[in-house]
Amino acid sequence: MLCKLAWGNVRRAGKDYLVYLLTLTLAVTVFYAFNTISVQAGIVLEEEGLPELLGGIMSGLTMFLAVVMGFLMVYANGFIMKRRKKEFGLYQVLGMSRGQVSRIMALETAIVSGAALVLGIAAGVGISQLMTFFTASLFKTQIRDFHFFFSTQALMLTVGCLVAIFLVTLVFNLGVVRRAKVIDLMSASRKNESIKTRNPIVSAALFVLGVAMIGIAYYRLLRDGLPVDAAPSEYDAAFAQFAITTGIVVAGTILFFFGLSGSLLRALQSMRSLYWRGLNMFTMRQLAAKVNTVSFSMAVISMILFLAITSVTGGMSIANVMNTSVERSVIADYSRAVIYYGQDMLNEPGLAQEREQEGYPVAKLPEQPVDILVESAKNTVDPHGDAARPFDLASILGKHVQIDVYDSRPVGEELPSVSLNVLADAVDMPLPKGTNSSDANMMGLMVTSESAYNRYLDFRGMDRIDLGEDGYLILSDLGESVNKIYDADLSRGVTIELGGRTLRPAAESVNADASSLFNSSMGSNSGTVVVPDEVLDAQPLPLYASYFLGDYKPGLSYEETEGYVRQDRSWGDILNADGTESAIWGMEATRDQSYESTNSMNGLISYLAIYIGFVLVVACAAILTIQQLSAVADSGKNYRILSELGTSRREIMRSVLAQQAVFFIFPLVMGVAHALVALKVVIDIVALFGGLSIGGTVGVTCAIFLLCYGGYFLVTFLMSKGMVDDAIRARHGH
Amino acid sequence: MNEASPINPMVAASGRQVAAAHARPASDVPATGPVRTGGAAVGSAIGTPVLEVVHLEKVYGARGNVTRALEDVSFTVSRGEFVGIMGASGSGKSTLLNCVSTIDSATSGSVVVNGADVTRMKAAKLAKFRREQLGFIFQDSNLLDTLTARENIALPLTIARVPAREVSVRVEDVAMRLNISAVLDKYPYQMSGGQQQRVAAARALVTDPALIMADEPTGALDSKNARLLLESFETMNRQYQATVLMVTHDSFAASYTNRVLFIRDGKIFTELRRGDSPRRAFFDRIMEVVAMMGGEGSDAL
Repeated sequence: MLCKLAWGNVRRAGKDYLVYLLTLTLAVTVFYAFNTISVQAGIVLEEEGLPELLGGIMSGLTMFLAVVMGFLMVYANGFIMKRRKKEFGLYQVLGMSRGQVSRIMALETAIVSGAALVLGIAAGVGISQLMTFFTASLFKTQIRDFHFFFSTQALMLTVGCLVAIFLVTLVFNLGVVRRAKVIDLMSASRKNESIKTRNPIVSAALFVLGVAMIGIAYYRLLRDGLPVDAAPSEYDAAFAQFAITTGIVVAGTILFFFGLSGSLLRALQSMRSLYWRGLNMFTMRQLAAKVNTVSFSMAVISMILFLAITSVTGGMSIANVMNTSVERSVIADYSRAVIYYGQDMLNEPGLAQEREQEGYPVAKLPEQPVDILVESAKNTVDPHGDAARPFDLASILGKHVQIDVYDSRPVGEELPSVSLNVLADAVDMPLPKGTNSSDANMMGLMVTSESAYNRYLDFRGMDRIDLGEDGYLILSDLGESVNKIYDADLSRGVTIELGGRTLRPAAESVNADASSLFNSSMGSNSGTVVVPDEVLDAQPLPLYASYFLGDYKPGLSYEETEGYVRQDRSWGDILNADGTESAIWGMEATRDQSYESTNSMNGLISYLAIYIGFVLVVACAAILTIQQLSAVADSGKNYRILSELGTSRREIMRSVLAQQAVFFIFPLVMGVAHALVALKVVIDIVALFGGLSIGGTVGVTCAIFLLCYGGYFLVTFLMSKGMVDDAIRARHGH
Repeated sequence: MNEASPINPMVAASGRQVAAAHARPASDVPATGPVRTGGAAVGSAIGTPVLEVVHLEKVYGARGNVTRALEDVSFTVSRGEFVGIMGASGSGKSTLLNCVSTIDSATSGSVVVNGADVTRMKAAKLAKFRREQLGFIFQDSNLLDTLTARENIALPLTIARVPAREVSVRVEDVAMRLNISAVLDKYPYQMSGGQQQRVAAARALVTDPALIMADEPTGALDSKNARLLLESFETMNRQYQATVLMVTHDSFAASYTNRVLFIRDGKIFTELRRGDSPRRAFFDRIMEVVAMMGGEGSDAL
């Protein structure tokens, strides 16, 4: 009997339950589809471990988003409950116990959740198959062997989340039924939300204050940037400033929405011919009455949308930057670096003692660069196996080159001879965001010789350069924000003093394409000065690092090259002839490895951004939909009166559309405005590593989000249309 | 009688007993039956029919389970008349008002307002018609709760795209006549029930409609406020020559009208004219008919 009643209720209250069902179904679909990511990644990726890592992150994230969804569902359910209080009261008047009423409701929720599960999983299975192709393109690989898949693990996780959401909603609902007095339930429909109108002057003041605060917060953010800039000592202070800015913008947004309706109303009222025209004043008054009660949630929604837009655009743009810079910074099939001990480290008191205790060789400043090809042969391939053998790079490499770079700070000096802050001062430019609080010592440039750089250019198949007697060049493969300083120095003829000579620029700008000294995904060379060999001879500088680049011999297979490099291998120490140590092994990166790590990083960031963004957008849109539908239901009587006064249905619906458009568009506009300002700052940071491009993927993602948001808007409007029609038709009883 | 209905199919019915009268037309009721009607109706001096209801029928339900809410109802209302419709719950009076006011559609028959047959109008045209020709007053004042009194009264004008300047003038004018100028800038929830009803009356009147329809307007009011509202109706009727059709089951309210139609079981049972008699006397005659309708009709009080 209860089942029958519950089933009947769900069917009858279908319209109310539709939003609930729609949102829950979307949540299930997204939860399932994104949690099959590990299976999808398994299909498209060769690497071990990454799919599992992805899967782990996704399931953690899903739990978090399930909590968000849980709250949303409680909200949605509150809407249904509000509409049906009278019905539950009636059941009790007719003699049903509260337990039975609770059971009816639990059954109803279960029916809808079950339907959402079935629909959502069906959609999720379909979408996850399609997503495999998307995954492949995100990770820049091909699908190895596509087959239909179903992930029990994802299913279990989704069901788990759904059950959790169901239980939370149930607890809330039972609370409502338990607490409610029959008399309240019965008279629920009569309880009108009294319309509070604020003093228009107070409204206007709040509005202006809100706008001003938002403006101040924007200004502060643009001036201070993100606290990641700060030096460690100032980090706390910078973070406190950032927290203040965040607080101001949140408070400003809330005030903005609180004051909005009153100010807007007042402004429109002053335009008499516009206000006293058609349904304009009705629309305005409806808005004003509602905005008062929902202004806080509008502010929250605009902040959530802001978060979603910023995380998606920012995250995906970083991924994009990595994609473009990897093209420039991967220069050889194989690269390996050696890093030399510097004077600061060796001067550290107690170092020698410590090393002795630990049993390390005595450390001293390098005298000669290490020959990486020779030194590599001292590595042992497969050290613990039977076939232990030296790492013979020469056997797999064809042409190769080694470039040694020096620290521009001579031994015994306090400051580097060439540094970024001096170069920036020389052309009156501020240091780029992300560098400005760093220690001046850290900003010394590297130095290398003309002949070494020419050998490097030979290796890369580029034209040699000639610096003449006193020319210099700057190499840098970092982003535009640093390079524009170097460019300014070069083009304005800023001179530098080195080895007792005054050097002049030998080019107008930095050639970023001929600046990478090592395979990396984000650029590796923050500034290296190329000087004539004689300068380096005249001014001995301490060695900083040596970079080795080589291309595989043509005709060798993947196994013979990459396979050989990737084999288990012991690196060993780099010792001088006398047993002392002056250098350690740096990174080793092949072309394939660089691309793989970029692509996986890229894919990972994109996935997280889309997943978080999608769920947040859906949550916002669903809250707005529910609010609007409940508003339309509450105003049903008003629409009926309008119709009786002779307003055409079209005009009434236009007023409804205008009201809903305000509620959907204002938070979106506010969120986008916040996001644009925040992105401006994010872009400054990202620009350190390369130009930020809002590329195709970001566009597509934003389009999907807008479609989703707009879809909710459309559903809201269509459902409102039905509700208004019903209200107009149903003449109130006598 | 000094008026003649142009559409008067039931003339032959005159002279029969009132109790047997069947859809008695408005105009042909000389002093027949046990209840005498008075002399000339006040509004009849103007004479042109504003509302003509001819053979109106409304049937609810489908095969096997049919309810006849209205059976062959015909009557005429002339310009400037204040007409009451009385009947018990379920007598069909609200259905009649709904059909006349175009909110409900009739099964057969026609309703002609100012020469236009509303039963044949399309939905789109109906809205315009309702806006221009009809004014409504309901039991619950049906004011928009988000709008002030001024805006509520102005709404029918702004919907009809009357220029802002004129809107303001007309609203002030009607408010002054109905004595509600003081509450113009209040919201409905800040006003008393009587004030709300007078604002609703002002809203119905402001467009100068051909016909104002009031559905149990005093139903939710105490006697003092009911009296104030009914006096407002008299004002509307006398000063503006407004034609008012009021459905009520309150004999006191009905006694303010010029003429009362009694409805029972979906048919017009009889009608009373006030003539020149004082309101008190008219009230007594109404009470007589109500008592005579008796039986299930007695709950009309």
